[in-house]
Amino acid sequence: MISLARKDVAHSLGKFIVTAMGVGMLLGIVLIMIGVYRGMIIDAQVLLDDVGADLWIVQQETLGPFAEASRLHEDLRESVQSMEGVAAAEALTFQNLQLPAKPLPVRVVAVGYDPLGAISPLNPDRLIAGRPLRRQHYEMVLSDKTGYRVGDVIPLQRHRYTVVGVTHGTVSTGGDPLVFVSLKDAQELQFAYSNERIRQDRARGIQAHDTHLVNAIVAKIRPGFDRASVADQIAQSLHKNVYTDTRERTILTKNLIKMASKQIGMFTVILVIVSTIIIALIIYTMTLEKLKIIAIMKLIGLPNRVIMRMIMEETLWLGLLAFAFALLFAHGIYDKFPKRVVLQNPDALRLFVVVFVASVLASLTGIHKVIKAKPAEALGG
Amino acid sequence: MKETAIHVENLVKEFGSGESLVRVIEGATFSVYKGELVALVAPSGAGKTTLLLMIGCVLEPNSGTIRLGEETVYDNGWTIRDTRRIRRSKIGFIFQQPHLIPFLNILENVTLIPLTDGVPAKTAERKAMELLEYFEISDKARSEPAQLSGGQQQRAAIARALANNPQIILADEPTAALDQKRSVDVVKLLKKIAQEQNVAVIMVTHDEAMLPLVDRILTIRDKKVVEKPLSSEGAIV
Repeated sequence: MISLARKDVAHSLGKFIVTAMGVGMLLGIVLIMIGVYRGMIIDAQVLLDDVGADLWIVQQETLGPFAEASRLHEDLRESVQSMEGVAAAEALTFQNLQLPAKPLPVRVVAVGYDPLGAISPLNPDRLIAGRPLRRQHYEMVLSDKTGYRVGDVIPLQRHRYTVVGVTHGTVSTGGDPLVFVSLKDAQELQFAYSNERIRQDRARGIQAHDTHLVNAIVAKIRPGFDRASVADQIAQSLHKNVYTDTRERTILTKNLIKMASKQIGMFTVILVIVSTIIIALIIYTMTLEKLKIIAIMKLIGLPNRVIMRMIMEETLWLGLLAFAFALLFAHGIYDKFPKRVVLQNPDALRLFVVVFVASVLASLTGIHKVIKAKPAEALGG
Repeated sequence: MKETAIHVENLVKEFGSGESLVRVIEGATFSVYKGELVALVAPSGAGKTTLLLMIGCVLEPNSGTIRLGEETVYDNGWTIRDTRRIRRSKIGFIFQQPHLIPFLNILENVTLIPLTDGVPAKTAERKAMELLEYFEISDKARSEPAQLSGGQQQRAAIARALANNPQIILADEPTAALDQKRSVDVVKLLKKIAQEQNVAVIMVTHDEAMLPLVDRILTIRDKKVVEKPLSSEGAIV
């Protein structure tokens, strides 16, 4: 039996390919959107992975530095360190910074930590140039996405910082590049006031200003101790909120990424619906163009199933070709995006199923037209 | 003894309902025999195409009887479920325009119906090639319809109509789009087919110049089908 769909597609191959490319680009954007979401989840956990802490101690009644403002006194670190079951404790700060033009200002998240401490948020495996921080002042390690190189000097507030190391793949929970500075520098950057502000405070009778604050204390647990029990003990003794690493990840995914995932999910659903409508319209138009031919086919006795199969096959081919173009398009551009885009095979497979179902649904518009076509329309001029 | 290919009796066709009801055909009774070319002539709107569509099992009459060969296909209602099967197996259609399927080559156009009907590919192709040779377009078998001239396309369309060995050919103004010479060629060809293939051909035409070439003329007068006699010179009396 002659494959009418194959013959029809071959007859207008150029038009068919261009149409599939158009739909494919749309589907490619769907893949990219899903990839952005995947990237967001990975980005959100980079810092947690690199810190590798078992417990996060944060300001009471807050969810911690990734969800809301958290301030603790730095000396809390010693208290945590002295708790039973705690192997090591370190203080960390997190703040948004705007690095000077290179050539445009770069938004980064600065992580402050003790370069000589037991827990470091700087994963040495991510260093692609230079070295980690070794001094307590005026050194900086930053992400390659900032555009800076080892040896560059960056003026920030009252001081100038020398870039001693460059990392790759270090991003904040929001996907911004990370900058590592010593805890002391970070405290000054975050908590120290300008001279003008200090003068104004003094004029108002405010005499003291404490910069010995941090945003979180992280701790590692000794082997054999239960994280949850140690967390409860710290929370009760020090009156702070203590989250296990698992809970901290949940806070990130549930509280922070959930909204973004809904946003991206909405876009994805809308794009899939738009793609389906476009495929349906294309098939409908293609069927309309062939209406006279379809009427002739019906008049000369071709069964509906043969004609419907032609429409169905053409729609599926359009869907499959569009999907292939979507893969090419998405893989061709995903690394050009400023934030991480992760393309995963299971997502592509899911999209393939969606495209398949959408194509079948879209073909119904053409099939409806086939069923409605009257063979008598073949007669006449 | 003439063998009846089409027998129509008391056929009635109405369109609309209530006050807008229009009766187009009223009690049409006639027969067409194998091996003859019959012209169906009547003014526009008289019901020629309606009659053709009813005989072709495309349009359902309101009442009456239609017999194609030995098979009664309509007796105050379709007697068969699959009217398209009847069209595929018993009837060949020829239109004003060739209406070949543009994305199939000529050979595929001719073999489409036999293949759909389950005829083995080799048999269908052999028969199709014989027809294309008969119509002197076998060299165009692998060409697309658009690569053929109007006359060649019409011959290919006739070959398609004959591909499944039909008993009847229904031709709706097959010469309307052709010049006088080609029109004569096509009508002569239809007559030759009728005689050589023992097929009944009903040809709707407005072209009176073609009438001397046909065996009989049917017309629709007062919603009934009547026969017009031919003069000895072939002119209508």
